[in-house]
Amino acid sequence: MSSLKTTLSGYAGYRGREGHYSFLLHRITGLGTALFLTIHIIDTSWVYFAPNAYQFAIDLYRSTLFGIGEIFLVFSVLFHGVNGLRIAFFDLIAPKFWQIKKTRSSTRWTLAVTLVLWIPAAGIMIYNILHHNFGMFGG
Amino acid sequence: MSEVIRTVAKPPENFESKAWKFMRYSGFLLIPLVWGHVLLQDIIVGVHQIDLDYVAMRWASIGWRIYDTALLAFAFAHGVNGIRQVGEDFIHSPRGRRILNWALIIFWVTITAIGGIALIGGVAKPS
Repeated sequence: MSSLKTTLSGYAGYRGREGHYSFLLHRITGLGTALFLTIHIIDTSWVYFAPNAYQFAIDLYRSTLFGIGEIFLVFSVLFHGVNGLRIAFFDLIAPKFWQIKKTRSSTRWTLAVTLVLWIPAAGIMIYNILHHNFGMFGG
Repeated sequence: MSEVIRTVAKPPENFESKAWKFMRYSGFLLIPLVWGHVLLQDIIVGVHQIDLDYVAMRWASIGWRIYDTALLAFAFAHGVNGIRQVGEDFIHSPRGRRILNWALIIFWVTITAIGGIALIGGVAKPS
């Protein structure tokens, strides 16, 4: 249990600015996506194992609460992807970029690209929730 | 002042170095696979249009079944190895790590098999 405390206080207390925050966000978005992916593989498998349960799962995904979760899931998938590309590019193609200045600017770029991709996607998903669940826009 | 050049032998490949490469190369592959999947199912089609008939229509095409198989194989392996890396940050004892690794292997094989059987079996008739 002490290693849990040591690791968590290291995660929280380390002052590495952009590199530290992107490390934490990469882990949180990755774990969140992996959790959803596990649930999603199981519920999709119900089309074969339990088709009635599949319809129940889809009804749950259509609820407003899960719709909001879906918007954060899409953020996670986008950030984890853009940041993963940054890491893979640095590691495999340009290791000379692994220095503080480049880490800081590339982390800011990563967040900017993520937001540019996420905001229109979130807008469409919010529109869908309002249209289907609240009867707006002629729904 | 003359420059000192130190050369070191490249360490041999082991499981960790292969896992490190796998995370990066599968990551490159997952960008089109996962982003394409999210763009199609969450943004263009949307969860309100998805039901058993939609899945049956999609899986009637062998191309989409191959796409979903690649998604299942690469995304879930990438995710489970990520969980393993995070877990090893918290678990340091060799015994704890052995337990973690075996638990994750069982988890990985079970969930992949469940998804794989459904992909082969296809959409069943609801009762």
